[in-house]
Order: sequence, then structure tokens, then C-alpha cells
Amino acid sequence: MTTLVYLPDSAPGPEPAILAPSPTSLAGLRIAVLDNGKPNADVVMTAAAEALAARTGATVTLITPKGPHGLSANAAIPMADDRFELVCAEADIVITGAADCGSCTAYSVVDAITLEKAGKPTVVAETLSRSFGAPDTRLLVLPHPIGGTDAATLGEWAEAATDRLISLFTEPA
Amino acid sequence: MAPETADVVAATAPTSYVPEMAEVAADSPEAMWDLLAERGLGDGLPVVPPTATRVEAVLEHAAGDPDEVLFTLQPRSGIVTRRVVAVNAVMAGCPPETFPVVLTALRALARPEVNLRGVNATTHLVAPMVIVHGEVVGRAGFNAGVGAFGPGNRANASVGRAVRLVMLHVAGALPGSGDAATFGQPAKYTFCAAENLEATPWESYPLSRGVDAASAVTVHCGEGPHNVHDAEADGDPVLILDKIASAMTSLGQNNAPISQAEYFIVLGPEHAASIAERALTRRDVSSYLFDTARLPASTFRRHFQELAWARWMKMVDDDHMLPMTGEPDNIRVLVSGGPGKHSLVVPSWGMTRSVTLPLEA
Repeated sequence: MTTLVYLPDSAPGPEPAILAPSPTSLAGLRIAVLDNGKPNADVVMTAAAEALAARTGATVTLITPKGPHGLSANAAIPMADDRFELVCAEADIVITGAADCGSCTAYSVVDAITLEKAGKPTVVAETLSRSFGAPDTRLLVLPHPIGGTDAATLGEWAEAATDRLISLFTEPA
Repeated sequence: MAPETADVVAATAPTSYVPEMAEVAADSPEAMWDLLAERGLGDGLPVVPPTATRVEAVLEHAAGDPDEVLFTLQPRSGIVTRRVVAVNAVMAGCPPETFPVVLTALRALARPEVNLRGVNATTHLVAPMVIVHGEVVGRAGFNAGVGAFGPGNRANASVGRAVRLVMLHVAGALPGSGDAATFGQPAKYTFCAAENLEATPWESYPLSRGVDAASAVTVHCGEGPHNVHDAEADGDPVLILDKIASAMTSLGQNNAPISQAEYFIVLGPEHAASIAERALTRRDVSSYLFDTARLPASTFRRHFQELAWARWMKMVDDDHMLPMTGEPDNIRVLVSGGPGKHSLVVPSWGMTRSVTLPLEA
């Protein structure tokens, strides 16, 4: 005899944020790199930002760890309030990460949603494709691992990612 | 800044929610396999079918509207109501009278200082440890004595399992999507014990944290327990505590690079008695371990590019002996278990804080 049972997986709560409008061109825009402190995150994201700037006429205006006053970074918590304000003031688009583990991916996605809500298109540089709860996040998938890979190789990866970065920032969200 | 702050949720979330029902082939664990497989749910073990009758029996022990949206759990932002909790408690095999303990544990896990998004999503094997305190321990049949961390007791086993099922089903901590744990671990199936108040030579643990209630629940998100065996005849506290300090002093634990991380020290009754006989307080135990569990600053600096430390710890010279945690209060001491010369160290995931709440159904 069939039986009715409750489903144990309740509905998810509030919907993920809608992305900020994408610019049609990156020329003249200011790029921020928001570093979560993971090993080599700053190296690969700075290289990617500089390659993007060289190709598009944008400018890298800010490179900062995501912790308070930019003095530190912990990947397993959201960016500090003062970093959010600084990025909003000094940049038009943002590259953040590196998301190469579970909790840092989750919080880089949280940071990206917060910045998108503030009107700043934000790409999450990640190596493990997990955008839980935010399927529309702009994700730049890089080879794994970033930590432990030499700077020259990271530079090659960053250069090779430029086309993808341009489309992530400019294609309609 | 955190998007999951209460005001944001309140502005956009529904205030009432009733879970859907589905038809299964029979009222049996076998029939539930198909439903779980179809929805990608479950912990891999058989479950009790959550029929309306069974769920209502659990809700007899709830103290409010079964369908009121109480909070959401990250990373999925899954909605928690009393009924949703009761459904998962039935599936886990919980005795109905343990419902308030499951709900209170979840209330605690939803607190921002727990950082549940990180706890669930990380590659680390962190699992929430649930400790039950006070009169509910005896009333609902929890085990605070021999084998408190299992197996063999229904309340301990099923309450820990119910919390895990809610993590899987509601918080979305499914391996590979919401839970990236490299290995997982046995404590992710169930991890619940009771405080042994009769064997505690000091005030209850909740009272020591300022929670004055007949019953309470503590959650701490960390590793599984590490055993410490000291059977020396004199019961010398120095030998006991030095061995505990030795188990705490590991570069593999996230406490090493994260100074806000706590340790839970679960003293066995015999170790607790030996320590208290020498007139040592709970605070003395924490202070001694803070002073003893140390490594040279240079060792920490060599091993960790990322050091989430209190500022003062970054100022000392390389040869300074630094503690494994930022302050003595991060070393939390309680008593559980039965006879034997053993104690436990439960290290932290790191970017999380334990929470103790009064029982609330």
C-alpha cells in the first residue's frame, strides 16, 4: 500500500542576487583585484588583471587582501567592510578569489554577490567549479592547483584566460 | 556586509512554509530508498518514513507554530521550520522527546559566529559536535556515561544523525556541491554526547558560559575526538594535562594557523576527579593548557603562509613560544564519559565559534 511522506529537503530561502549590468566595453574602466590570501591568488589574479588591462585599455587601480585595512586575508569569511567600500570607490569591475577549496569558494561567491549587488561586475577565479546557490556567478575556471605552481606558469594561465575574462565581463548577465 | 544577516532574510523570505509530500511504495525503509535516490538525499543509511502521523508525534514536543519560518541554513539558504526539523528527526529515528534538542542545536548552528556556510562548504572534515546539558539528559534518555560518544544509545545516536540530515537536506551540505570535504569522516554521520554533570567537580558547562537554564545545548564545529590516555597511579594533574597539551600541539590542526579557534577538552570523570582533588578550577585547566601547548613562533611562520592570528602573536620574535590558541578562554573544559583514565581533545575547524543556548522547542 502506498504511503504519503513529507519531503525532507525544504525550499531554499531568498533567491540569489541578480548580477550587475555588464559593460559593453572595458576601455577606460578600473579593475580591482580582491585577494583572499590563498597561496599565489594575488600572483595569478594580478597577472590576469594586467593582461586584461593591456588588451582592453582598462587600468588596474587596486590590488588588496580582503581582510580589514588590507593587512590580512582569511578566505573562509566575507571581505571586510572597509575593503568593500574601497573597492566600490576605486574600481568599476573586480576579479576575486582564488577559490580552490570549499569554504573559500563559498565566500568568494558571497563577496562576488555583494559586489554585483553594488553594481560592480565581479569575476570569481576558481579551480573547483562549485558555485552553490549562485549559478549565475561569473566564474573563471583556472587549472588546479594555483598554490604550488610557479609564477611563470601562472602568468601563462592568466594570459590564456583573457578572452574568457573579457566575455565574462562584457556579455549580458 | 554578510548577505545572510537577519534583516536581509526578513525582508525577502516567507514567514510560513509547509514541506511538500510525496508518495512512496510502502511505509518501509526499503521504499524510502527510491525517494532518497531520486532526490539525491540521505546519509547512506536506512531512514524511517516521515509520515504525517510520525511527524505529528514529534511535533507534540514543539512549543510553537510548526510552519513558522525560524531561520535559514547555509550554504543553500534552506528554510527551517519546526515541521522540517521534525521530518528529519523522524527519518533519523529520534525519540519524539529529543525534538527540542535537535531544534536547539540547529538554532545554535544558524548563529553567525558559527559560520555554517564555511563549516559545511570547506574541504576540511569539520562536523558539528552536539553536547546536551541539564535535566533533558535524563528525561530524554541521553547517555553521559560509559560510551557517551557512541555507539549504543538511541537519543545520542539519532539526535546527532538528525542534525546531519538537516545539514544534508536543508543546508545543502551534499558531498560534491555544498560540502567539499576531501575525506568526510565518521563524525559526519552523528556526533552527539551529554555532559556528565554528576561527575563534574565544577559548575555545569553552560553555567560557566553564562547560560543559566534547566537544559541547554552546545555546538562546536571541529574535528573528531582525539583520545588522551593517562593511567599513571598518582593521578598527577601535571601528567594528565601535559598529555592533553601534547595532543593539542599539532601543526595539522586548524587551531595552529587560526588563533580564534577553540579546543573542547572533554575530561573523563576520573581525570576530572584527579584534577579537582588538587583544588584546580576549570579556569586553571584552561590556563595551564594555554601555557603548555606551545610551539616556537618560527615553526608556525615556517609552516603557514596564511596566519589568521591575533595581532599580538604576529609581533613576537621567532624564538618566542606561542600558544596553540589566542587566549585561555578558547580552551573549553567539560566532563563526559564513564570510568577509565581517558580524556578527549576536540580541535576546531578554525573560523568558527562554539555556541551554547538554552533548550527552546
